[in-house]
Order: sequence, then C-alpha cells, then structure tokens
Amino acid sequence: MNLLIFALIILFGLSSYYFGRSEARKLITTNKIKLNALPSYYGYYLGIWCGLPALIILSLWSLFEPTIIKMVILSNFSNVESKDLFYEQTLSFFNGNFTGELTNNIKIASEKYSSLNAIAYNSKIALLASAVIFSTSYAYKKVKSNNRARDDVELILKGLLFVSSLVAILTTIGIIVSLLFESIKFFSTINLFDFIFGTSWSPQRAFVRDASTITPEEYLELKDAFGSVPLFAGTAFIALIAMCVAVPIGLFSGIYLAEYASTKVRKYSKPIIEILAGIPTVVYGFFAALTVGPFFRTVGESLGLTVSSESALAAGLIMGVMIIPYISSLSDDVINSVPQSLRDGSYAVGATKSETIKKVIIPAALPGIIGSILLAVSRAIGETMIVVMAAGLAANLTINPLESTTTITTQIVMILVGDQEFDSPKTQAAFALGLTLFIATLFLNYIALRVVKKYREKYD
Amino acid sequence: MTKEERLKKRHNAEKRFRFYGLLSVSLAVIFVLVLIQNIVSKGSSAFSRTTIAADISFNADLLEIEGPITKQSLEEAEFYDLAVESILKIYPSKDSKEERQVLRLFSPDYEYEIKRYLIKNPDKINQVASVELTSSDDVDQLNKGNFPRDLPEDRRRVSNFQLNIYDNLVEEGKIGKKFNDYFFSKGDSRDPELAGIGGSLMGSFFTIIICLILSFPIAIMASIYLEEFAPKNRITDFIEININNLAAVPSIVYGLLGLGILLSVMDFPRSTPLVAGITLSLMTLPRIIIPCRASLKAVPPSIREAALSVGASKFQTVFHHVVPLAMPGTLSGTIIGLAQALGETAPLILIGMVAFVVDIPGTPVDPSASLPVQVYLWSEQAERGFVEKTSATIMMLLGFLIVMNFIAVYLRQKFEKKWN
Amino acid sequence: MELNNSKIKIKSKNLNVYYGNKQALHNINLEINNKEVTALIGPSGCGKSTFIRCINRMNDTIDICKVDGSIEIDGKEVNDKNVDVVTLREKIGMVFQKPNPFPKSIYDNIAYGPTIHGIGEKKDEMDKIVETSLKKAALWDEVKDRLNEPGTGLSGGQQQRLCIARALSVNPEVILMDEPCSSLDPIATAKIEELIDDLKKSYTIVIVTHSMAQAVRVSQKTGFFHLGKIIEVDTTEKIFKNPANKMTQDYITGRFG
Repeated sequence: MNLLIFALIILFGLSSYYFGRSEARKLITTNKIKLNALPSYYGYYLGIWCGLPALIILSLWSLFEPTIIKMVILSNFSNVESKDLFYEQTLSFFNGNFTGELTNNIKIASEKYSSLNAIAYNSKIALLASAVIFSTSYAYKKVKSNNRARDDVELILKGLLFVSSLVAILTTIGIIVSLLFESIKFFSTINLFDFIFGTSWSPQRAFVRDASTITPEEYLELKDAFGSVPLFAGTAFIALIAMCVAVPIGLFSGIYLAEYASTKVRKYSKPIIEILAGIPTVVYGFFAALTVGPFFRTVGESLGLTVSSESALAAGLIMGVMIIPYISSLSDDVINSVPQSLRDGSYAVGATKSETIKKVIIPAALPGIIGSILLAVSRAIGETMIVVMAAGLAANLTINPLESTTTITTQIVMILVGDQEFDSPKTQAAFALGLTLFIATLFLNYIALRVVKKYREKYD
Repeated sequence: MTKEERLKKRHNAEKRFRFYGLLSVSLAVIFVLVLIQNIVSKGSSAFSRTTIAADISFNADLLEIEGPITKQSLEEAEFYDLAVESILKIYPSKDSKEERQVLRLFSPDYEYEIKRYLIKNPDKINQVASVELTSSDDVDQLNKGNFPRDLPEDRRRVSNFQLNIYDNLVEEGKIGKKFNDYFFSKGDSRDPELAGIGGSLMGSFFTIIICLILSFPIAIMASIYLEEFAPKNRITDFIEININNLAAVPSIVYGLLGLGILLSVMDFPRSTPLVAGITLSLMTLPRIIIPCRASLKAVPPSIREAALSVGASKFQTVFHHVVPLAMPGTLSGTIIGLAQALGETAPLILIGMVAFVVDIPGTPVDPSASLPVQVYLWSEQAERGFVEKTSATIMMLLGFLIVMNFIAVYLRQKFEKKWN
Repeated sequence: MELNNSKIKIKSKNLNVYYGNKQALHNINLEINNKEVTALIGPSGCGKSTFIRCINRMNDTIDICKVDGSIEIDGKEVNDKNVDVVTLREKIGMVFQKPNPFPKSIYDNIAYGPTIHGIGEKKDEMDKIVETSLKKAALWDEVKDRLNEPGTGLSGGQQQRLCIARALSVNPEVILMDEPCSSLDPIATAKIEELIDDLKKSYTIVIVTHSMAQAVRVSQKTGFFHLGKIIEVDTTEKIFKNPANKMTQDYITGRFG
C-alpha cells in the first residue's frame, strides 16, 4: 500500500515538474517577464515542493505507526502477562494465521487493531493529500511571482546534502543510545565493579528472565556470573598473539615493498598481499577452525603437548595473518611519504640501505607506523568471526596459548545468537560488552587517526 | 675490529635485513596461496553429486490414486511405498536393519525424485525405468574418495554391508556423477547432499541491493556536501571525526545497533535481508564516503574555477563538472564498500540471520541467510559433506568478491583521469 | 706529466647517462683538480646534477638510471663492480640543493655518519668529532649550547651548514655540492661561500650552481654544461673573461638560460 502511495507521490512530483516548467515558459511568452532562472528550475522547484514534504511525512508515518498502534493497544491490556507475546498473537489472529489458545482479550485487541488501522490509514491519506495540495499551491504562487527559482532549488538541495552528511552523526548516536540503553539496565542490576573486576564469567547461570524481579539471594548468585576480566584478558591475549604475527611480517613487507622491491615485484605482490584484507573473516574462521586448529593439535600431540583444538594460538595466528595487509600497506604508504631528500642525505654519508631504513626512515615514519599498528590493534580487538569459530567459549584465565580462551566479541555472539529475552541480564550483558568494545576501539581509533593525521601534515 | 671486518659485518646486516623483508612478503603471499589451495581442494568436489541408478517399477497400484492418472493426481500421490519397494530390490537384505541400511544409501529425498521423474515422463507408468537418484552424503563422500575405506567398521560411517552394495553398484556401472544443480537451486537442509546455497544467494542478493540503494545516494550526497559546500566549522569537523571513527568501528557493534534499534525498538522483521541491508548500509556508509571524498578532492580546482568563470552557479559547477569527473573513483569506492558488506557475517548473526531457513526467500522481508552466514552455519556441522559444501560456498563468495574488486579496479584504471 | 696527474682528483671519460630511454649526459670528459673548487654551470636540466651524482654513485638509487663510461677517482674506477658504494660515499661527501637534516638532534645529525662507519665509538671521541665538524662548518658557535635540539629547528642557512658538517664528519676527500645555496637568502649564501673558500684548503670541492656570480666568487675552474653535453671547461677566469665558445659567451652574458 505504501508503495502505491509512494508511486503516486512521485507521479505528482514529476507532473508538477512539467507543469512548473511550462508555467514558467508561459510567463515569458504571455507576460513578457524576464525569468530569474531557467524554466526547468521552476519545474524542479514545484516538483520538489510537491513531493518532498509528502515523502517525509510518509516515511515518518510508516516508521512510527506500528509502534504507536502497539502502544495504544497494549495500554488497554495492562493486566496481560508477557505483552510482546500477546501482541504477536493478536497480530497473527488479525492476519488469520493464528494457532493456539484463543482468549477473549486477543479477540478484543484484534478488533481494536483493525479499527485503529483503519483510522490510521484514513488520516494518513488525508494528511498526505493536504500536504501535497498545500505545499504545491504555496510553491505555485511563488513560481507565478517569478521567484529566484534556482537559488531556492539549490538551497533545498544543499539542505538535503547537509542532512545526508548528518547520517554519520545519527549513526554514532544510534550506536551509543542502543548500547547505553541496555547497558544502563544491566548495570542497575549488576554492580559496575563486579563487572569490571570480577574474574569469573558464566552468563549461562543467569537464568533469571526479568532483571527487575531479582531477589538478594539471586543477586549473590548473579554477581559472580558477570566478571569480565577473563574476557578482557582473552581478548588482549589473542590480540597480542595476532600482533606478534602481524607487526613483524607486516612491517617488514611494507619496508621491503617500499624500499627494496623492484617495480615488477611490487606490482604483483602488493595486490596479492592485499587479497588478505579482502577475504571475509568468516573464511579465516573456517580455515582456522578446520585446518589450523586440528593441525596444531596433531603437531602438539606428536611433541607430547596437550593442545586444545580451539587454541588461542590458532585463532591469534590466523587473525595476525588477516591483519598483515593493514600494517603492510599503511606502513608502505607512510614510508613512501618520507621525503627522498632524507634518504639521499643518509646515502651520501655512506650509509647502507638497511642503516638508512633503521636509523633515518623508521624514526621519521614512526608516528605513522605507530598509528597503523594502533588501528590494527583496534581491528584485532573487534574481530569477531575468527574468534567465534576458532577460539573457545569457556572463559579461562590463562596465558597458555595452547589452551582455549574466549573474547568479548565471542561472548556477544554466543549470548545473542538465537532468541533473546530483552529483559534478562544475560542479554543486557552483551550490550554492556559491546559498549566496552566500542569505547576501547573508539579510543584506539581516535588516537591512531590523530597520530597519522599529524604525521601527514608534517611531510605534506 | 678492522675496517674490512666492519664493512663485511655491515654488508651482512644489509643482506639479512633484505632477506627478512623478502621472507615476510613471501610468507604473506604463500599464505594467500595455501588458503586458496586449501579451500579449492576441499570445495571443488561439491560441484558434483553422486547418483545411484535404480530400476523403479512404476506400479500404479502402489500410488493408490483414485480416478484417472493426471499430472494433478500424480503431484498429490504418495510415492513412498513405490519407492521403497523398488529401491530395496537393488540388493537382497535379510532383515529390516539391513533394509534400513539400503535405504540410507540414498538421500531422504528419493521419493520426490522418483515422483518428479514420473511427472516428467508420464508414459512410464506401469513400466520399469532406471532413475538416477541422489546418493546419501556418506556414499557421495565415499565415491569422491573423501572417506578412507581401510578403517575398522565402527569408525566408518559406511557399514561393511553398505560398502559391499556400493562395490557391487560400481561394478554394475550404476554409480554416476552429475553436476550438482542442487547446490545452487536448493535452500538449506540438514542433509548435506540436499543442502544448497540458493536461499543464501538470494538473501545476499537482496541484502546487497538494499545496502546499495540506501548507502550509495546518501554517501555521494554526504561527500559532495563535505567536500564542496561544508563551511569550515565545528559541525563539519564533528561530522568528519564521526565518519572516520565509524569507518573503524568493529562490525559487530553495528549488529548490536541493528538489534537494539531496528529489531527491538522499530519492530522490523527479524532474520530478513531488509534489516541486514539497513544495518550493513549504516556500516558501509562511512567506508564509501571516504573514497568518494578522495575522488572529489582529486578533481583539480582549475576545473571548478573554469566553470565558475563562465558564470555557472556553485551547484552547476559541482553537478555538471566535478561529480561526473569523480564518478569512476566514486563508483569503485562504492563497489569495494559493497564487497566488504557482502563478506560481513558478525552483524548478520546478531540480527538473527542464523535461522535455519529451508525456503528460498522471494522478497527482502522473508527470513533468509546470506552467503557468509551460510559458511558459518555449515562450518558448525559435523558431516564431512558440509565441509565440502562450506568450502564451495566460500569459493562462490570469493568469486563474487573477486569480480566486484576487478570491476572496481577496472573502472578506476579505465575511466579515472590522471591529473598532473 | 707525472706531477700534472697527481693534481687530478677526479677524471671522467666518455661518460653517458640514461634515464630510461632518455639520454641525460653525452660523452662527458672532465677533470677535477685536487683541493680546488670546480664549479659546474649551465641552464637547468642540462645534466650538471646528474654528473655530480655519478661521482658518488647516488644515481644507483634511481631504478631507471643507467651509467656507462668511466669516472676515476685517484685513478680508481668508481663504477667498478668491486667498489663498495658505502666506502666510496664515505670518501665523497655530498650537500644537497635543499637542506635535508635528519629529524634528529643536531648532535645525532653529525654523529650519524661516524656511528655507521664505526668511527668514534667512545663518547668523548664522538664529542670531539661533532665539535670539529661543526667548527669546520662554522656552525659551532651558533649551536654549541643546543646540541640536543632538533636539527630541523635551525634556520635554512644553519641547516645547510649542518648538512655540510654532517658531510665533513666522516672525513671525506671530496665534497659535492648540488646548488647548496639555491634555497637560501643572500646573507646565508655569503656565509656558505665563505665556508667553501675555507674548506678548499683541505677538500676537493665540486659545486653545481646556476648563479654565475657564485661560480666566479668561489671556484678556480668552471665547466659549462648544455643539453647534457659539456661545452667548455677552463679556469674560471678564462671562462668568464674570454670564453672560447660562442654558446658559453651567450650564456654568461645572459642571452639564454
């Protein structure tokens, strides 16, 4: 239905474009007025005024209609248990595919729903029609009085461009709101200190469905279930292993490609290395879980070591491989932006290439290199699929790379995969973890981007 | 240390350093090759399926059709009895246990395959015809050589009895290999031999289209604003910082955003490409805006000055000259952003795209999986057949990514002007 | 003859240089005398810089650059396979068009060369080297109290003298200067010229310049390059007072270039 209305609005808009244009031309021929803009701008002007307000109203309306109707209906049934379920049942009864026990309440609610729907529909049409008529006639008057159509159209378009650029801010706000909202609920049940400093993580113990009804005894039980230290430690540990792989290989590759490689070697090996950055992480996860993990296990067994098939080592190693291109291409760029004159200065006093690189280029490029490493760390911390598939689920506090550990991202996925109950502290814990992750990566990214930017300014 | 010794040491250090660099580059390249080789060697066998030719006697009595036999009545008929009776004839079994083992050589879909055969060849009614039926995963893997035969029976998935039948069938030339059309046309299944990526392919398609529709126009408009019109002020700075940070926010956080806002507040339908597309477009936006801005920035100011000097407005300058010139870079940035979105898994898991969906989605609001999520789902399955299917899915996914990246590179190299 | 030979420090014979398919130098034959300043002049792009970059093989760092012909220093072929560029460049210092101090302290800028060559491994030895190099470059008095401050913080002229000090720190025999004053103001230029005059007592100096006045002021011998060819070489006096070649005449009188 909305689609039809949408098409109608577009149609109106288009026809008012042509109408506006011909009206403007008429102004020239019949009234002998010199127009302030090309006739087509009058068309655009009328078209935009006809379509845009209606479209905005339509999209806002469709966005909020279901929520408002739901709220109105549920406000009548304050005594019903599990409101979401009740509402689902009402909707399916209304749509005629209801199965299960039919209560009187559902019937009443369904009737209410149908009448509300009808009201909503009629008022939507009325509102849209009046919006179209009102805004079009306003614009038509303006066209008739030969307004500065081009300036007006450009002003509207500029507004549109500005609004699009605001999407970035809206997304950030959306992220923060969605994370904070659930996290605050979580921290109103679980003490922040128990979360940050607790050393045992076992959210499966949080059987309580509704956080608001927790008794003090239950809280004692819950208190120990959400200690996130093992997750932080596991995340940091796997990231550390990844960086141990990625930093030397990435840095040396970057240096080699920037300073040593012939044009031909560079031409072929650079894109091949960058393939590593384009491979979806789920593929790395699959490779780590099915090939690398079992391989380490077999090797470990033959050496007499007990290696978990979901070892931190396998996950970290593969994550490191994934990160190599981020470090290599960024440090390649950074090294290339060190001015040639510094190299010349060093060669001229008789330094070898490696001495020049170690003592002149790397110190000069250090801020950029550190920035790229920080970005890589942030990527390692936020990486999800590799650890979900290749690292363990049990929260062990360990520094043995052959054992399994778990990470923040793994736990978020494990908690939220499948159906969630939104009021349980377990679900809220995932959002609290997400908030921690967001803050940590935001911090790293911000510093890294600043460092890199400063560095760029220095040599630009 | 004499001067010569010192020099020698310095030159050795030089060689070592150079070697480390070469070693690192080689390691990275070798890893790419090993990964691809590993996936291809595991996955390429998934593109064929093993069939067993069985003589089926289409005995109309067993179909219990009342009235005339038409296409309609065949569609509704039960083929189970007919199928079982014919299939059991391929090898004599002495008890019901062995009978079950015989049936288990075939995929659970055999009755439907027989039904489809008869509907296609209605003249075969009351006759005997050889029908190629899909084998079970165990026979499939055995035939592809993925199961070692020399293990003790209790560690094998195929019993001695079944192995015997298999060998017999091979001798009679009844084991065949066919192109695995099921892999492309079917949705998910618990049986690897019947599982296909049809559903996730459509899911990914809808997701990417929605992502494109939402992110491309907004990204272009935002980059035009920021690059061409934005005044240098606090709001602009703040938007810039936001974009740069958002591009580096872990994808799972976008999943939480989708779950927390789109699903729980706005009540969008769970597990659907619609939600996936919206979530991924939020993630992709900053990743597209950055290259878009770069390509707008690369258009030299002289072009703008030329247009302005003939009296074009700022808007006309931008839309008639700058944007068309920046288009190749913009498009290639968009394609690369979409390729990243296509490979994204974590946020989709959070918005419930991990549901087991057998039906192929017809619209973006049907529950579905996507290619990378399918990889995740199947990789959790124990059967050997799913390893093969997972690897083949990865091959398809990588294939799409390669094509997209190739187009992006081509666009840039072919159409982008080099400004000096 | 024998005496004359020992006076010659650097000698190039039939030197050709190519950048890819483009020939940058054609059959350069040039002799540079020991402990004297030789100036190379000519319009920009004529190959002066390319030539001096051949002497310490700086052109090795440019992939597409190919050199054939010979350059001898003290009778030894520079382009010989057995010649180690590292020791060669230790012997031949170079100062560039734009001052290029490393982003390190003044002290470390000077100490860099000696450290990599293993000279002055003790702290007090190194201090001595830094001090003498800076004194030779006439910079010591200006920077002795701030040796630990970054070299990039100095003024342009000071930076260039720091680069000269850096070149001197490894005790070279020859110093190549590629338009060392082109980015400096007149006062800084005068200081550098004064310095060059001083240095020629102990070093052989080759200076590329596009200021003819400078060539007159500092050099004893001048070579005129045009379009990758050497047109005329003679004593500076002769070149500027009574050039043999018409083209040289035109150039020094400012008719082209």
